[in-house]
Amino acid sequence: MLKILVVDDSLIIRKKVKKLVIELGHDVIGDAKNGEEGIAQYKALQPDLVTMDITMPDMNGIEAVGHIIKEDENAKIIMVTSHGQEDMVIKSIKAGAVGYMLKPVTQDKLAAAIGEVFGEYAVDEDGDLDILDDDFL
Amino acid sequence: MILDALVLQSKLFLSEDMDIEILKTDIVDNSPDKITLKDYTSMIGTGGKLNLMIVISFEKEILEHLVELFMDGEEVEEEEKEEINDSVSGETINTIIGLSLPIFPNRGKGVTITPPITISDASNIKKYKNSKIVTANLVTEYGCISISAMGDKNEIK
Repeated sequence: MLKILVVDDSLIIRKKVKKLVIELGHDVIGDAKNGEEGIAQYKALQPDLVTMDITMPDMNGIEAVGHIIKEDENAKIIMVTSHGQEDMVIKSIKAGAVGYMLKPVTQDKLAAAIGEVFGEYAVDEDGDLDILDDDFL
Repeated sequence: MILDALVLQSKLFLSEDMDIEILKTDIVDNSPDKITLKDYTSMIGTGGKLNLMIVISFEKEILEHLVELFMDGEEVEEEEKEEINDSVSGETINTIIGLSLPIFPNRGKGVTITPPITISDASNIKKYKNSKIVTANLVTEYGCISISAMGDKNEIK
């Protein structure tokens, strides 16, 4: 089971992503509505994975990725973005994000994005995440 | 061109992603001097190579239907209702502009967008100096959505 932090300024998207994370058998350990809150939550909670919106008030997702990676170079951050923001996605990847997911967010897209980051995996009956993909290890 | 892109992507988003039937599209081409707002409104500014203000305004029924779809069967708590409505309105305009950017001039390259802003206490947005307003009204089975863009006459076409 992965511990996931959800960062998005939109309440409806935070709700949606959190619901899907739980349906996929993972744990939402926190959420934040802008980049600054996201950084603070990352430091406090040390999640396995962050889903990060790009366009947010106060501090956008790209800046937040930069700060989090400075704090923890192994941080795993997936950008959640709309079509048409490819330039921003590239900037995010350059800043240290490891993947992205286009809205509308669905269970399949989230599972695929997590799979891209962690390789093939399965959640066992104790709720532990087993990595099945040797390449990842 | 800007309005065409916004209307096209709004129609695709509403009909294909949200399964909402579009009954009629009216283009307002008489150069209005203000944008008349409906029950719920969100606005996004574009910057960089294209300076526009894009406004999407929803009648109550269509926004409430979108909320139901976004919530995917989950109940909306009364104390969250207003924030959820704003959030759905904002997410809808965000999605439509995101989808439209690749068909904006120069494929939207170098265009930045602000986070959505909810407008809750105004009934009109007045035209700014020499700018131009273009508007389209999409009539759906759940009510009307208006999409407007305001900006420089040369940019807005």
